[in-house]
This record gives sequence, C-alpha cells and structure tokens, in this order.
Amino acid sequence: MKKIAVCYKWVLNDADIRINENTRALDMEKCKPQVNEYDRNGLETGVKLKEASGGAELVGITCGLNTESSTKDALSRGPDAVYYLDDAILESSDSATTSKVLAGMIRSLGDVDVVICSEGSSDQYAQQVGPRIAALLQYPSVSYVSAVSLDGDTLTLDRKLEDGAETVTVKAPVVISVSPDVCEAPIPSVKQILSAKKKPAAALTLAGIGLSADAVKPLAAINSVKAPQTSRKAINLSEGGASLDEAVGKLVKQLSTDGLL
Amino acid sequence: MADYDAIVVGAGLAGSTAAYCMAKAGLSVLVIERGNTAGAKNVTGGRLYAHSLEDVFPGFADEAPVERKIVRERVSMMTDDSCFTADFHSSRFNEPHSASYTVLRAEFDAWLAAKAEEAGCDVVCPGNADELILDNGKVAGIRSGEDELTSDVVLLADGVNSLLGQKAGLKKELAPNHVAVGCKEVVELPRGVINDRFGLNDAEGMAHLFAGAPSNGMVGGGFLYTNKESVCVGLVVTVSDLVKSSARLPDLMEKFRESAPLKPLLAGGKLVEYSAHLVPEGGLHMLPTLSDDHVLLLGDAAGLCLNLGYTVRGMDYAVASGQLAAQTVIEAREKADYSNAVLKGYKDRLEQSFVLKDMRTHKNAPEFIEHTSRMFNEYPELVADVFTQMFKVDGSPSRLFLKKALPLVSRAGIFNLIKDGFKATRAL
Repeated sequence: MKKIAVCYKWVLNDADIRINENTRALDMEKCKPQVNEYDRNGLETGVKLKEASGGAELVGITCGLNTESSTKDALSRGPDAVYYLDDAILESSDSATTSKVLAGMIRSLGDVDVVICSEGSSDQYAQQVGPRIAALLQYPSVSYVSAVSLDGDTLTLDRKLEDGAETVTVKAPVVISVSPDVCEAPIPSVKQILSAKKKPAAALTLAGIGLSADAVKPLAAINSVKAPQTSRKAINLSEGGASLDEAVGKLVKQLSTDGLL
Repeated sequence: MADYDAIVVGAGLAGSTAAYCMAKAGLSVLVIERGNTAGAKNVTGGRLYAHSLEDVFPGFADEAPVERKIVRERVSMMTDDSCFTADFHSSRFNEPHSASYTVLRAEFDAWLAAKAEEAGCDVVCPGNADELILDNGKVAGIRSGEDELTSDVVLLADGVNSLLGQKAGLKKELAPNHVAVGCKEVVELPRGVINDRFGLNDAEGMAHLFAGAPSNGMVGGGFLYTNKESVCVGLVVTVSDLVKSSARLPDLMEKFRESAPLKPLLAGGKLVEYSAHLVPEGGLHMLPTLSDDHVLLLGDAAGLCLNLGYTVRGMDYAVASGQLAAQTVIEAREKADYSNAVLKGYKDRLEQSFVLKDMRTHKNAPEFIEHTSRMFNEYPELVADVFTQMFKVDGSPSRLFLKKALPLVSRAGIFNLIKDGFKATRAL
C-alpha cells in the first residue's frame, strides 16, 4: 500500500453563527474556520490505517476558499503532507463540484490506494462526496463505515446501516466514508502541533489538475439561506397589570383551550 | 540540550510580551496556551493603561485591536435608591504614555500572540501545561499529556490561580481575602447609541466605576467600560466577604444591571457574553516568591494587580513584568546561568520599576479597602443624604446647608471620617 488520502473540509464553526432577527439571515462574521469535526475522525482513521499498513504515506486533501490556512491544523492531526487547492471560485461549491476537484487532486497525486471521507460536513451535510469521488475514480465505494482493519491490501469494514450491521471485505483501491463512531479523534498534542510546522503543504491549482473554471461552476445557485422561524403565541398573562390570581386563571384557561390539561 | 531556551506558560499580556522580547533577542521560545486562541479564556474588565506596552511596541494603538481611547472617567457612589457621580472629561490623557484604552482581550491577546509568533516563537494553542518537569528538584520544562518539552527556563504566566506556580513552590493557594471574584457581561449596542448615551466621539471611550450598592456593601464594586460597539459591565466582590454573605454574585449582577442608573444605559442592548474569573487583590501582602532556579512568575500569577477604588490596574503590570522577565532571562542566557543567582535579578528589576514601587506605595491599600467597610456602606449613604438635603425642595422651611449636612456627617462619625480620610490619603 503506497498512499492513503483523507479528504477534509475547511468549514466555518457553526457554533458562532448569529441570526439576524429581522431578516433571519445567517451572520457568519464571528465564525472561525476549522477542520470539519467529522473529518477529524476520518483523519484519525487514516493514522490508524497508516500504522497498520507498515509504511504507506498519509496525505490530507482539501479544496475550497482560504484552504491554505487549514494546513497546519490538518497536519497536526497526523498526515505526512497536505495538498490543498485554494480558489475563490470554490467558495460555494456543491457536492458535485467538490467531488470533481477532490477526485482530480487524488488522480494527480497518483498511487492513492485508500481514500477516506467522513459521512458529511457540518455546513452542508450532503453525504455525497465520498460516493461521488468513488464514481469519478471508478473505485468501489463503502459508506457508513464504523470500523476498519487492514491486512495487506484488503480492508475489512464494518458498516452500520439502518436495518442492521454488515461486514464487508474489499481490496484497495477503495473510497470509504466513515461515521464519527469509527474512532475517537484526539486533540492534537503539543508535539503534534509543533511538528505540523515542519511538514510539507503543497498547493495544487485547477489548471494543474486539468479542470477549467467552467467545469467547477456550480449548477445551482443558492439565493439565500435563512434560519427557520418558530411562531409563538406571545400571550402575556400579566398584561395590563393583572394580579397573580388573574394571571393563573388565564393560564389555566389557555392551557385547557389548547387541550393540554 | 533542552528543546527551547525558554518555555512560557500562558499567552496573556505577560506571557506574550515576555515571549516576544526573548525571541527578538534571539532566544528559542515556546509559548503554550490552553485556550483555543490567545485571549479565548480571558476575563478582563477591559481597560489597558498603555504606557508599559508603549515601551515594547511604540505606537501599538495604531495597529493593535484597541476599542476606544478613554477620555471620560466616572466614579459613582450608589445606594439602593440614589447614585452620586463624579464625571471627568479630559483630553489631557492624549500622550501615548498617559493614554488608556478599552480592549476586548479575545482580540487583543490574539494580536499580541501573533506578534510573538512573528518574532519567531512557537505558539501552541490549545495546549495544556499539566506539570513541571523537575530535574534534581529543579524546573527543567513542562509536561503536556504524554509530551515532555524541556527548556533552560520556564516563565509561568498562567494566571491568578497559577497551579504550576504552586507546584513549583513559589506561591501558596490563594487566601480568600487576597482574591476577588468578578463577573462581566458584554452587551452589544450600536456605535452611535454608545456615542450618544455616554457623550463620546467615535474613537473615544469612558470608564465608570461604582461603589456601594452594587457589591451590596461588601468590599468590591461595579464597572462599566465602553467598547466600539459594546459595553462591558460587571461586578467584583472580595471572596472572603462573599462567602460570609447570603448574596450570590449572579444575583448582585442582575440587581446592578437592573438598577435605575444602569438600566437606561444598557437599554436595547444585546447580551452576547457572560464570564467570571478570580482577580488577585492582595497587593504586596500576597506577593509570591517571584523566581527560583530556572523558573519565573509573571503577571496575575505573581499577583501583580492593584485596586485603589478609583483605578484598577493589572494589565500594565503584566506587560511590564513580561518585559522585565525577558530582560532577566536574556541576561541569564548570556551568562549561561539560569540559577536563581541571576534570575532573582527579575525581582530587583521589578523593584526598580513602577511595578513594585506602586505596590509598595500602596501596600496598605488592600488592607485599607478591606477593613474600611464604611467605604462601601456608610459613605455612599452619607453622600446620598447630603445631596438629598441639598436638592430636596418640598415646602418645609429651608435651613442653611451646613445645618442640614452637619447632623448627617456626625451620624457617620466625624472621627471615623477623619480617620478614614487620613488612612485613605496614606494608602491610596
């Protein structure tokens, strides 16, 4: 086994999204980018596979906007090298485009035996990129992987499905998409963070992997993203200076009207 | 051969300043910070006196993410139903060395840590320094999880609790009367609203301290600082008082925020952050051992904080301690001697600087404030009574002001007033 590639997405931390109360639009100004949390399990899966392979190279792969700034973080999570494609044209790239670019990057690296994706990204969670890459590379695709073991070039994979559990054996090359329970994703240690500075990160370009700007244009445009609005009755029980007794009376009446008592 | 010349624990103002100065002098430096980013874990009221950072980075305010330059000082004495405020607006604090700024440390510390990184430091965040590595009982580095990182000297800038400082035997566990607990809310308001409400121009800021009712008569007080598009409002109460009281800090904070003087200032604002932290307040009396072989204590970890009631300082001391610690380490490296014989020069440098001079000048301030509970109880009431007498017109026959005021003053005790006034002039 020569190369194991883990795809990761550089996403904005959704914990800091704020919602404009008037327009319901999402304000991402305070959101800092981070390695998609699910992909951290993917990267750790790569580390474990590399150990089991006895000498394969582990590389991280990403594409999108500002991905150059992702490399140190990704490298601290185990890969020997990271390849990134940083292009503003990919800012709102959909799963089809992302898969096309990642497959192109993997092809141009050559000798990739195992491609690891996570089941989805925290921003879109389309759950498509792994299977799409497999289709484009004409590799077999194994999804919902919850456990991985390696023997030579044969992978034994547990799959957790809605109606049961499956164990699959497959020969490399293969694309697997792993669920978060595949393994713990440890927080990088100080030495890992320090060593990340010394590892290589290489930029690839769309032209370099043989894709034109036209080929990565999204087919559908997103016009707006808005937070859902919960409508509440907004009944003020103590309106007009109602006494506690009156307010309680109103509350009981309202609850029984609503059939809740 | 150690991994680094120096390891700095904590990327606050003290740690990052020390790291920057050492890296500039060619030392190899590792900074390890437990927050996801420098400043992420920080809780500060929000006012930085610029002078000491100005010495390290002349003109820093042009580049650093400062919020507003303070041109307006307010001090209030509050009772439950009154508030007396002294308001001082001045452009006399315009010189770089006498200026002060409101800062949001999450942004400011990240800027300073980036400066240290640019200067050549390795900055790891998040990273935990769990233990000190000891070699024959002497500090030789830090342990982080399973990783060991060695250095000739470790600079502990790990904050008020400084567990590593305790483990190194440099300081004891905090005493309840040497430490206060503070809580802070960041309330967002539009820039124009802040300008209008507080009478400020765009880049100008206000610092407002409150004594009396906010801390429920306990040692402590409230604060309000204006940022560009938010205000920091909070409360600090000495732990030894708080444990004896039935009041809870969050309830006091709620009462303070809802009080008549505060409420309109915060109206329409959006609470975006709540945090709480310990504040060292023991002054010189809690000064720990500042150095030992291969180890130094900086900033809050060294208890370098001074609360005089009308000014609260800590950040400028932290910066200075970082700079002076760096100078000491640079000297130790030149002499290839990191034993306390050289490192104790750090304390000498602090003694010669404003840091320990201030602490000595005001060495009785913490005790004065702690033992003069009248400052937080009787005097705000007295001020309220005097001004009520002065301004109240209700048709009852008027009397000379002195005749109205004297009985009030004698109720508080003229001797107490004189005694406290005398003590105050000597302590503050």
